[in-house]
Parts: sequence; C-alpha cells; structure tokens
Amino acid sequence: MNIIYMILLKTINIILKLFGKQGGNIIGKIAIKLNKNMLAYFKINCPVIAVTATNGKTSTNNCMRYTLETAGYKVVSNKEGNNMETGILSTLVKNATLTGKIKADYITFEVDESYVPQVFKTIKLDTLVVLDFFRDQLDRNGEVETLILKINEFLKTYTGNLVLNADDPNVARLGKANPDNKKIYYYRVQKYEHATSGMKEAGEGKFCPFCKTRLEYEYYQYSHIGRFKCPNCNYGENQIYKEAQNVDLKERSFQVEGITYKIQDNSIYTIYNYLAVLSVMNIYKIDADDIIKAFSKFSLKNGRLENVSIKGIPTIINLAKNPTGANVSLRLLKEDEEEKELLFVLNDNVADGFDVSWIWDINFENLFENKVTRIITAGTRQYDIAIRIKTSGFDAKKIVPCENLDEAAKELYKTNTKKYVIANYTALQPTRQAIFKLKE
Amino acid sequence: MKELKILYLYPDMLELYGDYGNLQVLKYRMEQRNISCKIDNYSINDETPNFSSYDIVFAGGGADNEQSILADDLIKYKDNIKKAVQEGVFFLLICGAYQLFGKYYKGVEGNIIPGLEIFPYYTEAINDRKKRCIGNIVLEVELQEGNPTKVIGFENHGGQTFNGMSPFGKVLYGNGNSFGNTHEGFFIGNVIATYLHGPLLSKNPQIADYIIKYCLERKYGEKIELQNLDDSFETKCREQILKRLLK
Repeated sequence: MNIIYMILLKTINIILKLFGKQGGNIIGKIAIKLNKNMLAYFKINCPVIAVTATNGKTSTNNCMRYTLETAGYKVVSNKEGNNMETGILSTLVKNATLTGKIKADYITFEVDESYVPQVFKTIKLDTLVVLDFFRDQLDRNGEVETLILKINEFLKTYTGNLVLNADDPNVARLGKANPDNKKIYYYRVQKYEHATSGMKEAGEGKFCPFCKTRLEYEYYQYSHIGRFKCPNCNYGENQIYKEAQNVDLKERSFQVEGITYKIQDNSIYTIYNYLAVLSVMNIYKIDADDIIKAFSKFSLKNGRLENVSIKGIPTIINLAKNPTGANVSLRLLKEDEEEKELLFVLNDNVADGFDVSWIWDINFENLFENKVTRIITAGTRQYDIAIRIKTSGFDAKKIVPCENLDEAAKELYKTNTKKYVIANYTALQPTRQAIFKLKE
Repeated sequence: MKELKILYLYPDMLELYGDYGNLQVLKYRMEQRNISCKIDNYSINDETPNFSSYDIVFAGGGADNEQSILADDLIKYKDNIKKAVQEGVFFLLICGAYQLFGKYYKGVEGNIIPGLEIFPYYTEAINDRKKRCIGNIVLEVELQEGNPTKVIGFENHGGQTFNGMSPFGKVLYGNGNSFGNTHEGFFIGNVIATYLHGPLLSKNPQIADYIIKYCLERKYGEKIELQNLDDSFETKCREQILKRLLK
C-alpha cells in the first residue's frame, strides 16, 4: 500500500513543482493522512544528524549540509527550514525511491524542539545537536522548561552522539539525561570582547536544574549564554570537546585547536553555531581543509544576517522571532560604530504568536547613544513596537510608524545612512521583498 | 521635584511576560512630567523591605517553577504587606502575583499553595494542563465612577480565579478570571490585580496616569492635575486593536 502512497505523493510533488510551489509541509501533511506511520516506511542506511534549538536551527543545519557537500558527500536535508514532522516527511518523500530508499551519504535535519521525540522514535538518530533554549512565543509553546523536560525524557534512552552547548545551562543539563551514554560532546566559546559581567538581556538560566541553587557566572556572552557554574553541586564543569578561542568579530575569525577559521558573519551567536557544526564534522572525521573552506564561504541568503546593498546603501537584515533573536541583532547594531537607521517589523499572525509582550524583553536602551538616528516601524503591530522604543528613551519624533511595508521601505531609503532591518517570523520574507523591490 | 518610589518584587523571578514594561511606562510618564521615579528591587535573600515606605509595589508573572520557590519567601511578609495595603500604598499585581495575593492556589494534583490571604479570591488550576486562557483581551474598566475606559491586554493563564467580588473590569473580548467569564481581575482604589500582560500599562496610558495621580495625591496631600503627554502612538495602537477585536 505504501508504494501506492509514494507514487501518489511524488505525483503531487511534481504537480506542485509545475505550479512553482515548494510543497514544504503539504506533502508531509498528506502523507500523514494516508498513513500516520509513514516515517517508518523509509529505509535509511546513512547517519542521520539533527539539530534542535530555539534559535539557530536553520543556519546550523544548512552549514552542516554545506560543509558535508564541500567535503564531497551527498546530503539530504530539510534546508528550507520545514522542521516539524510534516516538513521532515516531505523531505524524505522527495528524496526517496518508490520503495522508500534514501540514497545519501548523510541526512541532516533541523527539528522543531517539540517534535524531537516524535520524529526520532521512528527514525534512527545518529547525532543530535542542541544549540540553545530561550523563551519563545510563550502563548504557542508554553514555558521553556516544559520543552526541555520533553527532550530530556527522550534522551534518557538515547545512545547516539549528543553535541551540546556547554555555555547554555538549559542545554548542558541534557548531557546528564542518560548516564550510560558516553558519547556526549560539549562545545563552548571563550569570552569575547563584548562579554559582560551581568546579564544584559532577558534569559532563562538562573537556577541550577539539579539543586535549584542560583547559578554563578564568570561572564555572559549574550542573554544567559556564558561561563556558568553551580556553587553548590558544581554543575557546569564539563569536559570540553571543542572550544573556540581568539574570537575576532572585526576580522570575522576564530580559532580551534590552533586552526584559524574565517567566516562570513560577525556575530557572537553564530560563532556558537559554527562550533556545533565543527564538533559534528570532527565526530565524522571530515577533513579540516574542507571545513575551513566551507566555513569561509557559507552564507545563508534568506534574511538570517543577510548583507545586501540597496541603492548602494549597505543593509543588514536579520530575523528575530523572540527576545534573544532581537537582542543579538541589536547587539550587532550597537557594536557597529557607524551611524545607522533601523527598520523593525512586528507581526502578530498565528505563526508569530499573538502575544507581542516579548518586545519588552528586548534591550532597546542606548540606541541614540549608539548612533541610531531614526527608526521606522511596520507590521500588524507597528504601534506596539513604536511605543516600546519610545519608552526606552529614544526620541519619539525620530520614530516613524508605517501602515504597510512598501511605505516603510520607501521611508527607510529616503536617507543614505546604513540600514539595519529586524523582522519577526511572518514579517521577514514580505519585508525582504519590499526592500528588494527598491533594488530594481 | 516630586518623587515616587516603587518597590519591584522578585525582578529576577517574576519576569516572564515582559511585565517589567509596566514600570518602564510608569517611569517614562513620570519623567516626562519632571517627577522623579525611584525603583528598588527586592528578591530572595535581600534585606526585608519596608513596604509602607513605598508609593507603589509591583510584581509580575513568572514561570511555575520560580513561582513556587518565591511563594514561600513572600509569605514571610504577609503582615507587612497587609499593613501597606491598608495604609493605601498602591499595589499593581500581574498574573502570578495576582494569584499569590489571594487565599490560595490549588494545583492540578490538588496540592494547595497558600496565598497571602490579603484579598478574598482564590485560584484553581484547570485539570487539563494544555487548556489555558490565552489570547488578546479587552475590558471595560471604571476606575472612577462615570468614567469608563477600555483596557487592552493579553491573557495567558491556566489558573481559574473565583470569588473576585470587586473585579478590575467587564470582559468585552477574551476570557477573564476563568474560561468565558464576564469579569476580569480585582480592583479596589489602591490595588489593581489582573491577568493582563501586554504589558498592561503600555497600551493603557489612562491606567498608568490613574496610578501616578493617585500616588501623588496621597503622598503630597494636594489635588494633582497631570500634564498631558503626546500619546499619539498609544491612541493609534488602541484604535487599531479595538477595531480589529471589537468588530
């Protein structure tokens, strides 16, 4: 029966393609309707590597895929970011033979935090990477702790490789979920120049998950990511597999074990993602030269720290769907010594979460002091974000709320000042389109 | 220069839904009018605060875990807090803090977390953990008789609060104290206790100004007329949301 389903699904896929549609989740949705255990149909004979996190899944997954491809391997991946069970099913259907065989050397998936147990009770997982946990769309996802416990439960019986961010107390704790699993690989990043002694942005890792004592931090890199330790039970002392040293964001480089890696980005949080990828590549013994080459070229042109030039004006576009995402973007903007203008687009559609109160966890302080000369706001909640920014002390006269994106883009490019654009989930692609229209 | 002092309870624990924004709004609206605003923090292990010496006491909503840790701490100050409420100190209590000031909170397993018992209401968790009152909410609030105003916020709570008696507002859109309730929150002249995030004061400057005016009049013993501020963003924001929700 499944073979008939496959013929049907693949035919639908071809039809969708003819109409120029990606069919990101649709194929998977139909597949589940046909057979709710469809995932079990696929015969996978190569390592499956998955990455999950609140922030950084798409970039990290694509960087893994790109690095493996640079090393000459055939990789199947949900590179467009469809990371729920349906998206993963779609990817498998598209890349499988009718009998369900996947011809690849590696499969890399990004997986939504809440779908990890569901997907990998069926598909055998060889390596799981966990980057970070931040508060994210509370009205849709609930508290972060609930998600962490769900993954922790799954890991109790998991025996594959586990690659964990040692600088996130919410992630490092997962290394203790299964004491019998010795394949735990911690990575971390040495203190960078803008690290602080206190927490500058809203974060979660305040109490030890094991003994509830308040954690102590030597420094914070951003949000609650940093060198932490529990003064009571010593939680935080982990054997480190890979550590980034000499992080230089101006030069866009860092070192690991004496090897210098050049990268395209200049943000501290992406260094963490590169370390996760590097750890995975080392586990699979990928050649260092291939990693160096891949890292130096990798860039995801879909609004994740995307650098573009519009009418000759340098513009940096970044997605921010939660406080930490917005805070790292603003960090970048504040670290930039040039004069600049900001466009912030805030929607409250279903996929964004209806609750926009998270914008009050964004650290908007000192924008004027950091040479932001004007701020345009747009999206279905353009006034909410305008009020938020005004209340932070930025002169209300220099805030321009716009009714629609075309108007906002036009307003933004009235001046020649450098631009930063921050947009939340459903706002990102429409914002890019509105801006790119001015390019022509 | 006139000054108001705010006590911010458990800023590192009750900080989940951006409720701190309420204090930023109060501070902003005071400073625009040349009123100084001093905010002191209190959290576990800090010295006992003198509640009665403040003009405003504020506490927000937190994660379940944090909330159960601090409930034990807060209860030590039951008498001091009761005294401050009776003396007329203004209390702004959001979500978890709203619940903690009532009689008790009954968890899903039937476990009782005792409240401060300062107000008569009590809260019971709904049996199904997945069911919560979540969404935009609009109330009609009458802080002063004959002067109703619409209040916009966002609710996200599993707890169902009963026996409110003196509610904050009538529900025009959303749930309120429990699923499909007609009323929301608890209000007496110097206490606003509510589930509304948003943060509450960000889209309801009239409530912020009510609090500021109340506190100034109480502290300085004179009639206060607050200077008008440019609220054009707030006005447009309210128009847009009310139009969308109250079709």
